Amino acid sequence: MTETTEKNMLLALFEDVDPAAHAVDKLRTLGLDNEHVNVISGTPITEAMLGRPHQKTNIPRMAMAGATGGLLVGIFFAFGTPALYPVYVGGQPLFAVPPSVVVMFELTMLGIMISTFLGVFLDSHFPSYGPKVYVPEISDGYIALLIDCPEEQEDEVKKAMTEVGAASVKYAEVQAL
Amino acid sequence: MSVLAKPLAGAHAHEEHDHEAELRKENLLLDPKPRGEMNAMVMDMMGGTTWKFWLVAAIMGALVLWGVFYSWGVMIIEGLGIAGVNQPVYWGLFLVHTVFWIGISHAGTFVSALLRVFKAEFRRPFTRAAELMTTFALAQAGIMIFAHMGRVWLAYWMFPLPNQRQLWTNFHSPLMWDFLAINTYLLSSTMYLYLPLIPDLAMARDRSTGWRKKVYSIMALGWRGTEGEWTHLRTALNIFAFAILPIMFSVHTIVSWDFAVATRPFWNSTIFGPYFVVGAIHSGVAAVAMVLVVLRATIRNMDYFLRPQHFDILGKLILIISMAWAYFFFNDLMVQWYGGDKWTSELLHFHEAGKWGWIWFLMLICNVAIPWLTLWNKKIRRSPWLLFTIGLLINVGMWAERFIIVPVSLAINRTPFRWGDYEAGVEVPIFIGSLALFILLYMLASRILPLVPVWEVQEGQMAHSIRRYGKEPVVTVSDLE
Amino acid sequence: MAEHNIPEYKANWKKEEQGKWGMAIDMDLCTGCNACVAACAMENNIPFVGEEDAGYGRGMHWIRIERLWDGKYPDVRTDFQPAMCQQCNAAPCESVCPVFASVHSRAEKLNVQVYNRCVGTRYCANNCPYTVRTFNWRDYDRPEPLNNQLNPDVTVRRRGVMEKCTFCIQRIHKAQDQAKAEGREVFDGEVQTACAQACPADAIVFGRVDDPESRVSRLARQGRGYKLLDVLGTLPQVTYLKGGSHVRTG
Repeated sequence: MTETTEKNMLLALFEDVDPAAHAVDKLRTLGLDNEHVNVISGTPITEAMLGRPHQKTNIPRMAMAGATGGLLVGIFFAFGTPALYPVYVGGQPLFAVPPSVVVMFELTMLGIMISTFLGVFLDSHFPSYGPKVYVPEISDGYIALLIDCPEEQEDEVKKAMTEVGAASVKYAEVQAL
Repeated sequence: MSVLAKPLAGAHAHEEHDHEAELRKENLLLDPKPRGEMNAMVMDMMGGTTWKFWLVAAIMGALVLWGVFYSWGVMIIEGLGIAGVNQPVYWGLFLVHTVFWIGISHAGTFVSALLRVFKAEFRRPFTRAAELMTTFALAQAGIMIFAHMGRVWLAYWMFPLPNQRQLWTNFHSPLMWDFLAINTYLLSSTMYLYLPLIPDLAMARDRSTGWRKKVYSIMALGWRGTEGEWTHLRTALNIFAFAILPIMFSVHTIVSWDFAVATRPFWNSTIFGPYFVVGAIHSGVAAVAMVLVVLRATIRNMDYFLRPQHFDILGKLILIISMAWAYFFFNDLMVQWYGGDKWTSELLHFHEAGKWGWIWFLMLICNVAIPWLTLWNKKIRRSPWLLFTIGLLINVGMWAERFIIVPVSLAINRTPFRWGDYEAGVEVPIFIGSLALFILLYMLASRILPLVPVWEVQEGQMAHSIRRYGKEPVVTVSDLE
Repeated sequence: MAEHNIPEYKANWKKEEQGKWGMAIDMDLCTGCNACVAACAMENNIPFVGEEDAGYGRGMHWIRIERLWDGKYPDVRTDFQPAMCQQCNAAPCESVCPVFASVHSRAEKLNVQVYNRCVGTRYCANNCPYTVRTFNWRDYDRPEPLNNQLNPDVTVRRRGVMEKCTFCIQRIHKAQDQAKAEGREVFDGEVQTACAQACPADAIVFGRVDDPESRVSRLARQGRGYKLLDVLGTLPQVTYLKGGSHVRTG
């Protein structure tokens, strides 16, 4: 969900999981589906706790890709470099399996780790230092619902959120973090 | 004000309420504070640095300058002649300390990955403190590896990169496996330290001003805590936790293969792999206990996060690991002794009854006798400075184990005309420098990084509650993931 | 010493091979005089480390004479065993060097130490079962006029580099070049290592072991022949000759 500068979004802050979950249901009855609501929190709240669909992530696939890449580099080191630069040592064969297993294993693991790490950056679009919608209370444990609703519905939404137990409902401000 | 795990509502009988209060006092995860308050406590830890801190830091800095920069610099210019190595003891304290520091580095991964995979909730307040140990210990291991090289200015020749001379490195060599494994472990550990740090850096960014805010803003990468960000982070952490375990096991196994694939008596043992891994975890967890005792004693607000329960559990872990170490040690010793190979027998006799025999006994006393005689006792486990002493002695014992394995075992070989001895030289100041550097890095990190992963502690507190099972209040842990 | 113009054994050579060099050492002839040690030091520019370092096990002799005592006083016998790099065919020192500074040459089938590639990890030395490798712990001085003694055919090694017996490969190459220039094969006995040349008892014999009629091959076939630590499977190129029924330590 991208921030839009055309209209303001509403930011409702909740102290606890239960009111936030009720709020999500309430918003659904008001016609605001999951696409129009974003959740920001200071502790990981799983989507299931709020009755929202599971968030997709590319990271497992990136990890597999990294593993494959690492394995290919490992194969190159273990079998490619002796082919390019054949040096016989210790009476051992040029292409030997036991040392190659070690090399291929380590590089496969390195591939998994680096690609998983970079995957977090890519999937979350890090680093991103531009101004965003955020309030510092979130890192104090509040759960924030970022609601993208049409202007006509704003008052209705504000009233509904306050009824359900929001600590505050206001316009979301885009600011530097 | 913020999220709170709520206790059981309703009236309690007087004794049950006391029991509940005891549970809360004992277990951090049953004693939740508002998140805002915990954030403030963690931020507070980084401030209020006294002159005593800077004095210790200055002393450490001086030791680093003398030990690492000056002594090592002289050695690079003069050659390894000022160290204690010779023929046949070509490897001495530098290798001992390499293995020692890599062993200590296993502490962090054990706590943050192995305990996470096993869902051992008590790990939550100290995973970051342990992971910092890993990164800084690996840096010291790197110093020792570079120091042992005869021509360290050519160390880059061990990097497998295409070059003009069309030379590649020898992947049949355990030292190249070391190169790959240790670098993989160092990178993975640092990434695994950084990822769960991001939300806490965001919290620090929100609560600081001036240069700190600038630094945290950059390091927090713009983290807000959206669903997407948390999903990506937690998926990555799960992958990391599972994947870094085979890496951890493989690193010290490969280090052990530096010795095990060699044709030396006693070294050529197939059990070195698991023996070294268990030894690393032994010294690592003992070192974690030491560091946590110091943190709790010197950093304000730490006594909320680190409680006697943590030392209790660490003590039990150390006892079990000590038993595992004893198993592998005896396995190795018994099999080699029984085989009766003439050179191995000669060497084993030298271990126990030779010039360095007292170190062999010190190893057994510190690694086995002391933990087995003390850590079964709950009072001892829960008393921080006793646990610190036991941890220190275990690390001395593990140092002694590596001393026996490297220089003492090299003194005896299959050519009696070339048996020798070992007398440490410049290796000692360099080691003292590396110890001081480890401490200094840790001290500086404690001023800049939030040492306690508050979001993980809160996550744990959200998952824990006390419910009544019959008449007894019991701890309940929900699996919120 | 037959001259072979087209020796049959050359038919067995694989690509790039130029023969296989080996040694036979007769311990029954060796008197322990150490002339070989001195000759080797002169030929190969081996530095003098000084009394203190030598006493601490930092001597740099590429060949040593081991004294093996046998019997009880007053019937003590000494066997002398010259030990140098065995040029193993399955050398444990080669597989463990991370930068390929210790490799097996295809031409001479010797274990060669590449000084300018060595980074000084000393793993090769730890893995040598014969403990024949020496390391340059410092830069060693050769104050004037000792530098005049240096052999121009052999390089001088700096600190941090591993070294060991090379079977006087510079002499092998010199003889091969000479023979090639004269359009003939190297004949048996033409190449002598410094130690073989210096030995007054002719206890060290050097030559081609792939030539079955060379002196060294014939000596190696003798019943007295054995190899050091052969149970380790290093396949050394040096055969020791020792008569008598007493147990050998090798």
